[in-house]
Amino acid sequence: MSATRTVLPEVSTRRRRTDQVMRGSLVAATVIALVPLILILYYLLKKGVSAWGRSGFFTSDPNGNFFGNPGGIRSAVLGTLEIIALASLIAIPTGIGVALYLVEYGKQGTFAKIVRYFVDVMTGVPSIVFGLFIYIVLVLGHVGGSFTGWKGAIAIALLMLPVVTRASEVVLLLVPDSLREAALALGAPRWRVVTRIVLPTAASGLVTGSLLAVARGMGETAPLLFTAGATFVATADLGQQMNNLPVQIFTDITSPRAEIISRAWGAAMALVVIVLILNLVARLISRRSRLA
Amino acid sequence: MQETRHQFRETLRELEAQALGGLDLVVQQLDRSLESVSYQDVELAGMVVADDDRIDGRYLEVHQGLLSTLARQAPVAGDLRIIAALLHIIRCVERMGDQCVNIAKLVPLSGYEAPKDKDILDAIERMGQLARSQVSQAKEAFASRNVELAQDLVRQDAEINRLNREIFRRAVEVGDDQDVREWAMFMILVARCLERIGDNTVDIAEQVVFVVTGLFREMADQASNPPETPQRA
Amino acid sequence: MIPPDTTSKETTELSTAGDQSEETTEAAPDLSALGVREGAGHAVDVKDLHAYYGQLHSIKGISLMCPANEVTALIGPSGSGKSTVVRCINRMHEEIPGARAEGQVMLDDLNVYADGVDITAVRRLIGMVFQKPNPFPTMSIFDNVAAGLRLTGTKSDNLRERVHRALRAVGLWGEVKNRLNEPGIGLSGGQQQRLCIARTVAVEPEVILMDEPCSALDPVATLKVEELIDELKDRYTIVIVTHNMQQAARVANSTAFMLDGELIEHGPTNEIFTNPKDERTERYVTGKFG
Repeated sequence: MSATRTVLPEVSTRRRRTDQVMRGSLVAATVIALVPLILILYYLLKKGVSAWGRSGFFTSDPNGNFFGNPGGIRSAVLGTLEIIALASLIAIPTGIGVALYLVEYGKQGTFAKIVRYFVDVMTGVPSIVFGLFIYIVLVLGHVGGSFTGWKGAIAIALLMLPVVTRASEVVLLLVPDSLREAALALGAPRWRVVTRIVLPTAASGLVTGSLLAVARGMGETAPLLFTAGATFVATADLGQQMNNLPVQIFTDITSPRAEIISRAWGAAMALVVIVLILNLVARLISRRSRLA
Repeated sequence: MQETRHQFRETLRELEAQALGGLDLVVQQLDRSLESVSYQDVELAGMVVADDDRIDGRYLEVHQGLLSTLARQAPVAGDLRIIAALLHIIRCVERMGDQCVNIAKLVPLSGYEAPKDKDILDAIERMGQLARSQVSQAKEAFASRNVELAQDLVRQDAEINRLNREIFRRAVEVGDDQDVREWAMFMILVARCLERIGDNTVDIAEQVVFVVTGLFREMADQASNPPETPQRA
Repeated sequence: MIPPDTTSKETTELSTAGDQSEETTEAAPDLSALGVREGAGHAVDVKDLHAYYGQLHSIKGISLMCPANEVTALIGPSGSGKSTVVRCINRMHEEIPGARAEGQVMLDDLNVYADGVDITAVRRLIGMVFQKPNPFPTMSIFDNVAAGLRLTGTKSDNLRERVHRALRAVGLWGEVKNRLNEPGIGLSGGQQQRLCIARTVAVEPEVILMDEPCSALDPVATLKVEELIDELKDRYTIVIVTHNMQQAARVANSTAFMLDGELIEHGPTNEIFTNPKDERTERYVTGKFG
C-alpha cells in the first residue's frame, strides 16, 4: 500500500487575476494622487529656481518700483518668520493646555465634550473667517493701530490652535494609563503626574504636532490680508504693518512684469522649502521618540 | 456542562477503584489462607504465597499512579486528602497481603496431621470471619465515605483483639501432648497475623474520617469513648 | 531628542564609589540594606467596604483583616472583585471616572477614608505594584527608583543612598550597578518588575499592595519576585492579588477567597488548601469551576 503524499493545491487563476486587478487599481490610485503633487513641485522648481538665482533675492526688500529692479523678498521672509513666531508663542502653549485639560481632567465630562466639539468645529472653519474676525474686532476697532503684525499673528494663532489641540490630544491619549497610575500610586499629586510623567513621555509627539501646526499656519494668506496688511518695508516692529510671504505672492502674481511674477514663484518656492524643512525636522524628532 | 478537569477526576476515580480492588484481592487471599490452615492444605498455602505477587503488583501500580497525579495535577483540598489517604490505604493492602502470606507459611510448619484442638480452631475460624468482614466493611466505608461505618470497625476490631487474647490463653492451657502444644504455638502466630489484619482495617477507617473531615485521629482502642466528628459547613 | 531627567554627575559617582567588590550579576534580596525599622508592623483592616462603578455595585460589604508583617493573598475567579478591593485600600479606585467607595479602611488606627484625609499621603504609606511592569520610559534606572521621592516632593539629601539601598533590597543592585544611567525599559520583564518594586520601596511605605505582580513574567522571574516578597514581609505588610493558586499557596500566610464581590472565606493558607470550610472555596481551589 503506497502512502499518498500531501499535495498543496495551487492558487486558482481566478484568484490570481483578482489579486492583480486589486493591486493594479490601488497602484493607479496612488499614482493619480501623486501626479498633482509632482506637477506642483516641478513647476515650482522650474519657475522659482531662476528667481532664486538673481542677486539680492534674499537680501533686499521689494521696492514697489514699476521700473527697474523690483527687489527681493527679504521683508516678506522676515515678516513671515516674525508673525509665525508670535502666533506659535500664543497657539502652542494654549493648544497643549487645552489638550491637557481634555485628557487629564475633563475626560468624558460634559464641559470637556463641549470643548472637544468646538475645537473640531474650529478646524473646519475657513481661514478667511479668522482673518475677518480679527479685522472687524481689532483692525476696524483701531485697537492699538490699524493693520499690524501682531494682529496677523493672532489670526494665525486662532487658526493654529485647534490643530495643536487635536494633535496634542491624540499624543497625550497615547501615553499609557499605566504610567499615570504608577505615578499616582506613588503618592504624586495630579499636577506633578502631568508635568513630570505625562508631558515628558509625550514630548516628542507634542513637538511634532506643533511643528505641523506651524507649517500649516505659514501657508495661510487670507487672514494676513486683512490684518497684517501689505507693505514692502522690512520691519521688526510687530506694531507696524508687516510684509509676509503669502501676501507677497498674492500681490506679485497679478503683476504685468515678468520679473515680479518670477519673484512670486521664487517666494512660493521659499515658502514650500521652509515648510519642507519643518516637516523633516518633525519627522526626525518623531523617529527618535520613545513613544512612536 | 462538562466538569472542568475531567481527565483528572477520571484518573482519581480509577486510582481509587484500583486501590479498593486491592482489598478484594486481600479477601481472596485471606479466604484461601484460612482454608489452608483449617485443612492443613499445604498446596493451597503454596498458592497463596505465590499469588502475593498480584497484590505487590497492585501496590506498585497504584503508588505510581498516585505519584504521577501529584506531580502533574497539583491537587489541593479534598483531592489532596484523597490522594494521601489512598497512599496510606494501598500500603495497608500490601501489609494485609503479607500477613496472609505469613499465615500460609505457617501451614507446612504446623505439621501434616489433623489439627488437635477444636476450641482453638473454632476461635481461629471466627477471627478469620471477622477479619474478612472488616476488610469488606473498610472497603465499603471508604467507597461511600461513610464515617459511621468506619467507626463501627473499631468496635469490631475490639472483638478480634479479644479473640486473640483468648486463643493465647487456650494455647497455654492446652495440655501435655507435645504435638498439640506445638500446633497451638503456631495457631498463636496465626491469630497474631489476623489481629494485624484487623489493625490495618482500623487504619483504613482512620483514613475515611480524614478524607471526610480533614482531621486525623488515632482510633485505636476507642470502643469505650468514640471520637466526635465535626460537621462540615 | 528630549534629554532624560538625570543628574548624570551623581549617578556616575554612585556606581564607582562604595561598592568596589567583584559582585557578580545575581544577588539575593537584601532588606538589611534598608536599615533598622522602628516600631511594630502595620495592619490593614478593611471594614464593610462597598465599591461602585457608576451604578454597578461591585464590592458588597467586605470585611478583611490583613495582619501586620504578613502576606495576605486574595484569590477568586475573574470579576470577583479582588483587584477592586485592593485598589480601594490605597484609594486608587476613585481615580476611575464614575467610581466610588464607601466603608472604612483602617491602617492601624487611621481611617484612610476619613473626611479630609490627604490622598497623596495615603498613597505614600500604601504602595502599589501593578500587573504589567511600568517603569517610566523617559527615565533612567536611577531616576526610576528616585521617581517616587521626587514626585512626592520629598526633600532628600541622601537621594543616591536611598536609591542604592532600594536596589539592594530587591536584589537588583548587582545587575544594574554599572548601568544606572540606562533607560529603565531596557531591562528584562522580571528586572523591570523588581525595578518597580524598588521604586515603591524607596518611598518607605508601610504596606505594599500587589495586583497580580507575576502574571506578565516568565517562571524564573516569577520565583525571584516570590522570593523577594518573602523577604519584604519582614518589613512591610503585603496584600497580593493573584490568579495563580499555586502562587498564593507558596507565598501567602493567609488566603482570602472572593466570589462575585463577596468574601467567602479567609483563613490560614494551609487550611484553605488542605481543608477549606466553605463548599465554594473547595470547588474553586480544586478547579471544579473558575
